[in-house]
Amino acid sequence: MINFDDFSRPEEYISPFDKHFRKVLRKHLEETVMPYRRQFDEDWKDHHLIEPAFDKLMGELGLQKSLFPQEYGGWGVARSDYVFRIGYMLSEELGRADTGMAVALCVTFWPLLVIMIDPFVNERLIKEFAPMFCDTKKAVFAANAMTEPQGGSDIENLGLLGGRTIRTTARLEGDEWVINGHKLWPTNSGGVAKLFGVPCTTNPGSSDPKDFAFIYVPADLPGVTQGGSYEKAGMAADRNSDIWFEDVRVPSWYRAHGPGTDAEAFYQLISFGQMASCAFLTGAMMNLYERLYEFVSTRTYNNRPLKENDAIAGIIGRIAGDIDICRILGHEAAMIGDRRNKPYGKPLISEDVVGRIRNIKDFISDRAVENFGKAMDVLGIYGADRDWDIEKHWRDIKIIQLWMGGKQLCQMESARYFFNCETL
Amino acid sequence: MNKNLDELFIVSGNPLDEDAKSVVGLVRQWADREILSKRMEYREGYSKLFAEQRRRLNLDIGIQWLTLPEENGGFGWNDLSKAVDIAHVLCEIGRADASIGSLLAVQYAILATCTMKHNLNRKLCDMFSSLYISDTVRTPALILPGPGMAGKTSALFLGRSILTQVKAKKGGYTITGRNLRPLLAGAAADLFCVVCAGEKDDRACLALVPGDAHGISTGSPLRTTGLNACGNADITIDMVSISKENLIDHDGAAEELHTWLNLLLGAVSVGAGMNFFEILSDWSETRVIKGGFTLKENPLCASVLADVAEETALAKMLLFDLAQVISASAHEGLHTTRAFTYSEIIGNRIQSSIIKAINRGMELMGSAGYAKEWHVEKHWRDVKTIQSLLCGVGAEAPVKMDTARFFYNCAEL
Repeated sequence: MINFDDFSRPEEYISPFDKHFRKVLRKHLEETVMPYRRQFDEDWKDHHLIEPAFDKLMGELGLQKSLFPQEYGGWGVARSDYVFRIGYMLSEELGRADTGMAVALCVTFWPLLVIMIDPFVNERLIKEFAPMFCDTKKAVFAANAMTEPQGGSDIENLGLLGGRTIRTTARLEGDEWVINGHKLWPTNSGGVAKLFGVPCTTNPGSSDPKDFAFIYVPADLPGVTQGGSYEKAGMAADRNSDIWFEDVRVPSWYRAHGPGTDAEAFYQLISFGQMASCAFLTGAMMNLYERLYEFVSTRTYNNRPLKENDAIAGIIGRIAGDIDICRILGHEAAMIGDRRNKPYGKPLISEDVVGRIRNIKDFISDRAVENFGKAMDVLGIYGADRDWDIEKHWRDIKIIQLWMGGKQLCQMESARYFFNCETL
Repeated sequence: MNKNLDELFIVSGNPLDEDAKSVVGLVRQWADREILSKRMEYREGYSKLFAEQRRRLNLDIGIQWLTLPEENGGFGWNDLSKAVDIAHVLCEIGRADASIGSLLAVQYAILATCTMKHNLNRKLCDMFSSLYISDTVRTPALILPGPGMAGKTSALFLGRSILTQVKAKKGGYTITGRNLRPLLAGAAADLFCVVCAGEKDDRACLALVPGDAHGISTGSPLRTTGLNACGNADITIDMVSISKENLIDHDGAAEELHTWLNLLLGAVSVGAGMNFFEILSDWSETRVIKGGFTLKENPLCASVLADVAEETALAKMLLFDLAQVISASAHEGLHTTRAFTYSEIIGNRIQSSIIKAINRGMELMGSAGYAKEWHVEKHWRDVKTIQSLLCGVGAEAPVKMDTARFFYNCAEL
């Protein structure tokens, strides 16, 4: 009988790592996350239940060290030719279980990728940060502190604005950077992360990429203040808060690379985030299929199972068809990333890669929002019921459509690329 | 927002009369003063303030007995011609809190099957007036036909399974149904209105079952996407006895119930959509992108804002068109099947439009639309819950079957 694994994916794209680790991860999530995710949904503020689950997933299973080179105790994934596709696999399996947990874990990779993906590698910082993540069985999180109160998605719109609207400043004093600013909404804030990656400007108001700085800030430094967790519609496992940096001093070598290179390296991770977003969504939709399959097989309209009614079959058929197409597209987004160093590929910072991956993310987001909403209506009076999990996914995945500049920035990147728009 | 919603979102038909205007005005005042201007306080103290505000609206203003006959002490809005006015009232309530609005929508829909002038049942009017004209906030619940269970054949109401049976006994009836899912408020109801299958011909009829009747058991409280304050739970009705008067079995009673539900829950969602429009409008005037342009002055954002306004305006126009259809029947009597079909088509479209408007508007608000602090996500969850509840089962498919039956005389659907 067909199951959720049968949704299409280009088999030639799949990494060798996928073949054995997907099973291990899935078993882990089916035992430690999926049976408890409804309770996690209520645990948004304190993470009493979620934290031990993260310890098992990130610390004991070891996912948090996966990017780091083997010589520092990691698994060497960041140096792999498959880093995007492995990221896709991890994100998809996590998304199937709980997109909030998926986001919290994958965002931990995010700031680290700025110094780990060829050609932008900072060996000194990798070596310095490795013990924090590799030498512990407790979950350790990182966060990207990007969004600012005045700017919304402006930071993700680096291609156009060149960091002109960034107000968080970095000032070099001797061999230290002094950071000042206010950030909103980072995943893994609210006291969760141990390390922040902070996009700053060294020259406020400048749109010269050389004035963009990506600087690492340990969360326990004096001058770092985090607010309480925001209360949100969903994504309980992903905590967010305000962060204030007030004369925070970090060593000068905590800047990711240097003038000009920081902007390029940072821009790469936007595409990684968009690709992971696709995977969270296809994973969640695979779980939607599982739960919907059960409902339409066991509940009736006109005294026949829902799936045997032609009109309802038309609706659920479209949902399954969309999942199939989205999964193919999601893998394509990952492959675009992994072609970056190939002769037939394009650099991650190219308009080609940015435009195409954003385009895929926009498409999958729309299909996911639509399909979860439709599935809730298929369940009818049970659609809003937490016991069917579909409504949890519906609440969780909406923010994926909204984040990283949201739908409109995706549309703009797509237009810029495909139509050579010059003033957008 | 310094714009007048009534001027922005027009509706067809005659203006409200003075009586209706004053009731709608009172409810709007309640919404503005008690909830909308104190959103943060209301959210933070929700469980307590929800009960307080229901009390203020239902009892202090008297909305609980709005649709009861004047001779029973009600406002006398028990005529089909008042459909437009009732929809206005529920719009105002939905603008403030969809949970309060939905509970009242369910109550009015139940009452409309037996207290309207064309179907007035004197004994039930007396029963309802003693129940509703009191100093206690009342909570009715409704159990509609919906999904059946595979392997079990059930009586049908237009394809939806009726899971409750009624049997005649001396002096009344017994009602039986297991693991029933009320629309709302199963855990809190003092009265259940249950669509049942009649004993002989499986024809749908409505049983009014007191919430404290012997034989009713309530399951665990349900957690749902929205409308959680309504306190839902599954119930089992085990051979519960009711009096003869408590069975409403005139032709088309179940269709009438659905007709009113589509109208009234539509009004609640339109009200929620109105408030979302207000919030988004403020947002679009105070937030900037690309380093300085207000959202509303950017052509792409403006087109999203236009979508929101368009969907909201259409939903409101459709809502009041449906209200006019019902209202106009006051002279010729309610053409049950036609009104039912139109209510299904329009009700479905209203919910789709409002959820689309909120979904699109949230795209512009980004994370703020998702955070509870901005009061948008509650509207989003509440309206989505109403939409799914009204679908009953199978998304829009059953509505399409109802529509095809009416317009094409399909015989086998």
